[in-house]
Amino acid sequence: MRKLLLLLCVGILCFSPDLMAQQRTVAGKVTDASDGAPLGNVTVQEKGTANATQTNNEGQYSINVNPGATLVFRSVGFNTVERAVGTSNVLDVSMTFTASDIGEVVVTAFGIGREQRALGYAAQSVNSEDLSFNKQMNLLDALQGKVAGVTISSLGGGPGQGSTMRIRGVNSIDPNISGDPLYVIDGIQIDNSTSTLGAGADHSARGVTNRLSDLNPADIESVNILKGGAATALYGLRGANGVVVITTKKGKAGEFSVNVSSTYGIDNVLRKPAVQTMYTQGVLGVYTHPATGIGPAWGPTIEEAKQIDPTHPDKLFNNFDRAFLTGHQTNNSISVSGGNDVARVFSSVSQFYQKGMMPNTDYNSLSGRLNTDFTISPSFRAAVNMTFTNSGGYSYSSDRFGEGLAYWSPRYDVREHSNPDGTMLWYGTNNPVWGTMTNKLKSMTNRYIGGATLNYDATSWLGFMYRFGVDTYSENRLRTAPGPMGIAGERVYDNAQGYVGEYNTGLRTLSSTFVMSLNGNLTEKLKGTFRLGHEIYDRKIKNVGVLGSELTIYNFFNLGNAAVLSSSHNSRERRLMGVFGEATLDYDNYLYLTLTGRNDITSTLSAENRSFFYPSASLSYVVSDHLSLPQVITNSRLRLSYARLGKDASEYATSSGFGTYGSLPPGITGLTLSSNLGNPNLRPEFTDTYEAGLEMSFFRNRLGFDFTYYYSLSKDQILQAQITSATGYVTTSVNAGNMRNRGVEFVLFGKPVANDVFTWDVNFNLSANRNKILSLPTDITYGTARGYGNAAVAQILVEGESFGNIYGSYFLRYNGGNPDNSQYLDRSQPLLITPDGFPVLSGSNRKILGNSQPDWILGFGNSFNYKGWTLHALFDARLGFEKYNWLENFYSAFGIPDYTADRRSFKVLDGVYADGTPNTTQIWLDQRFGPDGIDYGEGYYRRFYRNVSEPFVTDASWVRLRSASLTYNVPQTWLPKKAIKTASLSATGNNLWLWTKYYGVDPESTSYHSGSNVDGSAGFTYPSARSIMFTLSLGL
Amino acid sequence: MRKILINTLFITLLAFGLQGCSKYFDDLAANPNQVTEPTLASLLSTSTYKMGINSYSAASAIVPYVQYTASPSASAASDTYQTQNFTGLWDALYFAMADANELKKVASSVEASEYIGVANLMLAYNLGIVHDYWGSGPFSMAFDVSNIYPEYDSPEALYATAVQLVDEAIVEFSKSGSSMALAANSDLIYGTASAATRRTQWLKFAHALKARLLIKVSKHSSYNPNAVLAAVENSFTSNADDAGMATFTVRNNWAGVANSNLLQSLGGWLSEQLIEHLDGTTYGVFDPRLPKVTDLTVDGIYIGTVNGAGNRLPGANTRHDECYISRNSPWTSDNAPLLIVTYAELKFIEAEAALSTNPDRAYAAYLEGISANMDRFQVSAEDKAAYLSNPVVAVGASNLTKDLIFKEKYVATYLNYEAWNDARRHDYQYKDFTMPENAALSTYIRRLDYPQGEVTKNGNNVPAEVPRTTRLWWDQ
Repeated sequence: MRKLLLLLCVGILCFSPDLMAQQRTVAGKVTDASDGAPLGNVTVQEKGTANATQTNNEGQYSINVNPGATLVFRSVGFNTVERAVGTSNVLDVSMTFTASDIGEVVVTAFGIGREQRALGYAAQSVNSEDLSFNKQMNLLDALQGKVAGVTISSLGGGPGQGSTMRIRGVNSIDPNISGDPLYVIDGIQIDNSTSTLGAGADHSARGVTNRLSDLNPADIESVNILKGGAATALYGLRGANGVVVITTKKGKAGEFSVNVSSTYGIDNVLRKPAVQTMYTQGVLGVYTHPATGIGPAWGPTIEEAKQIDPTHPDKLFNNFDRAFLTGHQTNNSISVSGGNDVARVFSSVSQFYQKGMMPNTDYNSLSGRLNTDFTISPSFRAAVNMTFTNSGGYSYSSDRFGEGLAYWSPRYDVREHSNPDGTMLWYGTNNPVWGTMTNKLKSMTNRYIGGATLNYDATSWLGFMYRFGVDTYSENRLRTAPGPMGIAGERVYDNAQGYVGEYNTGLRTLSSTFVMSLNGNLTEKLKGTFRLGHEIYDRKIKNVGVLGSELTIYNFFNLGNAAVLSSSHNSRERRLMGVFGEATLDYDNYLYLTLTGRNDITSTLSAENRSFFYPSASLSYVVSDHLSLPQVITNSRLRLSYARLGKDASEYATSSGFGTYGSLPPGITGLTLSSNLGNPNLRPEFTDTYEAGLEMSFFRNRLGFDFTYYYSLSKDQILQAQITSATGYVTTSVNAGNMRNRGVEFVLFGKPVANDVFTWDVNFNLSANRNKILSLPTDITYGTARGYGNAAVAQILVEGESFGNIYGSYFLRYNGGNPDNSQYLDRSQPLLITPDGFPVLSGSNRKILGNSQPDWILGFGNSFNYKGWTLHALFDARLGFEKYNWLENFYSAFGIPDYTADRRSFKVLDGVYADGTPNTTQIWLDQRFGPDGIDYGEGYYRRFYRNVSEPFVTDASWVRLRSASLTYNVPQTWLPKKAIKTASLSATGNNLWLWTKYYGVDPESTSYHSGSNVDGSAGFTYPSARSIMFTLSLGL
Repeated sequence: MRKILINTLFITLLAFGLQGCSKYFDDLAANPNQVTEPTLASLLSTSTYKMGINSYSAASAIVPYVQYTASPSASAASDTYQTQNFTGLWDALYFAMADANELKKVASSVEASEYIGVANLMLAYNLGIVHDYWGSGPFSMAFDVSNIYPEYDSPEALYATAVQLVDEAIVEFSKSGSSMALAANSDLIYGTASAATRRTQWLKFAHALKARLLIKVSKHSSYNPNAVLAAVENSFTSNADDAGMATFTVRNNWAGVANSNLLQSLGGWLSEQLIEHLDGTTYGVFDPRLPKVTDLTVDGIYIGTVNGAGNRLPGANTRHDECYISRNSPWTSDNAPLLIVTYAELKFIEAEAALSTNPDRAYAAYLEGISANMDRFQVSAEDKAAYLSNPVVAVGASNLTKDLIFKEKYVATYLNYEAWNDARRHDYQYKDFTMPENAALSTYIRRLDYPQGEVTKNGNNVPAEVPRTTRLWWDQ
């Protein structure tokens, strides 16, 4: 195998025999001058270039350099060392400890490597090991808990299910505009949208994924999160929500190395609703068997039912347990890395398969990557990166599945879903497992991301870089459901007369970037670097779908077999061009000033308004290199920045017209006014951001922190304001709405224990964001939820309030007869009770019952090293936010939650009568006649509890052990020489422990898809998985 | 040297960047998913479809008020006169008017008289519903993109506008020989009529809507029964003229409600009021239309649900032991048209208008109304004859009362939005008609609260809220 790969790679190299040039590899070992111990994580950089590497744990490094190059060695806490490369290929260095240094190189805009010490803004990076130890296949999931100021939500445990990321809170008032950051991989801007084409909308969407899942996390060398305006300023308007800069692994000169990794894991439902186990099938206490309708658990007790029906099981089925199975996942990957002075290659192939916990759901992904670097001449370098992914699988709506489960009586086993003839086994309601078996959606995506970069150093002070990138994919979704077979009495669930649907999405983005760099010494102490750049970005998306229904042959899934066809067809394209400049001034290696300016021209605004400019300024002051500080302080740095960010409109926000009227039956076409009234006068929106930060470390970096405060104010946000239908339109695009975000990020890192055999590294991060909508012309309502009566909540954005407020109905309160004008529900006020002992519902009146934005986000990572063993443990938490739970609402309507087991009892509700005196009237909680002879009808839970939002909007805070992973590196002496260089075994657990007060499900999971901004409610989610995985990795 | 180089490069860059870029961006100015120049036919299909669908949507809101249907849930907001948010209905009416308004603009520019007539009729119909349900609404200031906060016109002004629009439609439809006749494929109301009769069908339809508008003010001083009779005379002459929309993606919307109910998404339960109106309980005569309206329950009987009381105990609400809207009914089958206005209804309008001046004419119209409606329900000739000769029905011209006319019209307007107008004009004085259980109001409902969507989007112009028991101007 290895030979084969070597041959393959040699073959690739043979295509460029004449490129053999003078570049060569220098290797060596870096040690601590004080004790000769090897130094790991030392950055080794070829001076004046972005060419850099790091030493491994043994202090060893290897780097390809041009003749006459100088290597710069940097490590936090040590003096920087510069050494010219002589004729020798070995260059060992010993470094002496210094009072201060913050020398790490980070990748910033357009792949520009800059010393962290020079950056006047917060940038947090996650390296390959931290990223991959918990074996998450979606890059966003892999970042969870590891970065301050970032909210990442994994939407559930479904195979291939999407995740969302928000940096520093919500930046757009318009909930229809994605708050997703910009993702850049090896300098190429890539798409991370979530398409619901053909997959249902909002909470009904079938486990669709965000397209970032097409990346193989194992290919990633580092991820750098650019959070504030100054960090993203050069990226222009597309970076307004922050930028995630992804750098993939590169081939290193030297012997080819091959890594093989294989993982097998199992998934189980993390959290299940607590259910009552006493009362069985029936309605109003009356047992019905066979079931004639929906009545899962308002029947008699099991014992009472057995008197009537001897076939009744002794125990009820826990159908949540019965419905969800154990999921499996396998991931196999192989990567090859190596090369010579001229060409270096990194290539990988990865296969991933996950079988979901929900029956009949799965996900498959096959991806390959080829990264090549060429050194054509000392001044001319080229790199080509490309990746191809094929992914997809079967998915089903978790909301529909969970709803079906709620209706399904625990009297019957949900796993018994089919009659011998294949029709559904029907017990008064539909079987959700049968639903997943017959009503299907299969998706398949082919994606290609590629880029070519050329670097030319004209002189030692002048360089040029050009990059062309392409990101393109086509996604096909096939929806099928058989019609009725024609068997008497058969039930068809959602399949009606059968469906076949074909949906295709095509996306392509082209990007072109040119950067020219100049650098030099302006005076003896003042150095300057100037960059000028030009960028073009062009994205085109096309969606076409045809749904055929009323199948003639019930199971022939061909559009020609469908009597009714309905189609959807749309496309959008946008173009963007930016011209930008950056000037960095470095005074005496301790004071750095960076100024940037960018002018964007966008196709989404009218000719008068489409060109706009915005600047940024940032300052980094390395106090510890300037002033003499107490010895305990290893280093200290202050950051200050200001940036203005511009943002354009969505496509076609400036134009109006007539669209096809989709409600018309087949064979008839018509037009209707477009829903959005275009506004040719739209202007770009601007956000001003301010940021200040302080980094300090102590005791030779054994302890340190990084604190950031930020403030951002967006003005004249472009949003689709909802306008009265009397205008003929639903919305109009306007510049309106000001919003403020401010917050803090705090990172604490340390090494409590560090000696020859045992080290313990700790990283704690905490962040808080506070938001306020300063002005908004009309309220924006979004995120309709599900619920009985008036229980369904809405999220409404109102001037003067925070983003994410949840409005819902409530129990009326007694407030001493004072007028009740508050928008907020005061839960501390006593309930108003009627003379018959029941509370009073607010009907359709709504108050603010909660807010979906967390007050605090925490992450706490630990890694322990003991000899060959490594243990990672990552906790994270999201605290202080609320969510409406319609799973609980449905469950309470059907007598399922554990607390409804109190039904055969009297209760005096805590509250007061209209005159303020305490309630003393007892009510019977069950249905129909109580022991007091009163007919309670459908009972308290159905008449009152389920019809109001208040009980279901609850604190959704959670704390969890996100991941723990134990790795054993097999000692090399145990391995067969030559055949295997390294071997490691690891066991990884994700979602091992969860604390929350939320009912029934993991509050992080949601019914909405990853493209939705609705986060204030959730219902029947795809349950989060507790995963246990085992991995074998070999280095050949 | 270095400075010169920088400047040169910068200028080159800018030139490279900006050169020809105007076209690069202008190319994307037009939205490829939209057109800016609609054709007459493309707006005709949309408008006529929306008219049919809105007739259903509007009726859906009020069928519990007239107690055709009852909710399976006790104290349901729909049954018990609670405030409900009808933003969806309001918006559907205005979006239909917006499209009709665009149709009118295009049609006027090419003087396509028949299309202008249709557009006017669409505007009048949808606006009429706004007027009937809420009273005020934007119209004179509406559909103006320079004003996103249109002011409301008074109810009287809306009424006058609706009448005027119908009159204008009558003028346009009266013009013969239009070079641009209505496109058959896009006319979802009379498209199946021959090209020669299509215009006259629409003309009759316009008169039918006019008759409706004029009878509405029966309690008001402006009421002119002769004008009503004149409109009726120019209107439908048989069931074949009935205005209905029968083009569906899958099935008739009421059949869709019935189908959903069977699939456990509950709705379309018939009220005890309606069932007892028909089964002999209230009037002592079994109406042969009852088996054509609904099916027997699993218990083999006809029984309705009491408004406000919800599902009859002890059966589960998914046990089919009440009567529902039925896909087996000729009125609500999968392919049945959504009837907007019928010949039978016009006969009852005629009977009401003629009652005080010409009882014979009124009585003949009354019987013809029943007969025509029974034909629509596909009642057998024998059953029809038996019913028509039953003494409860065949009272003779001298004994005909307004109550009897309303009693019969109540059946003929089954699931039609006009039923609520009639109920209010008749002060809900149907025999044995009672308040729903658990009612949120002390008397019958007379109007709807303005939708919450309007309050949030055009709040400054929304009239002050009054109790839902407050009568509109024509209901006083």
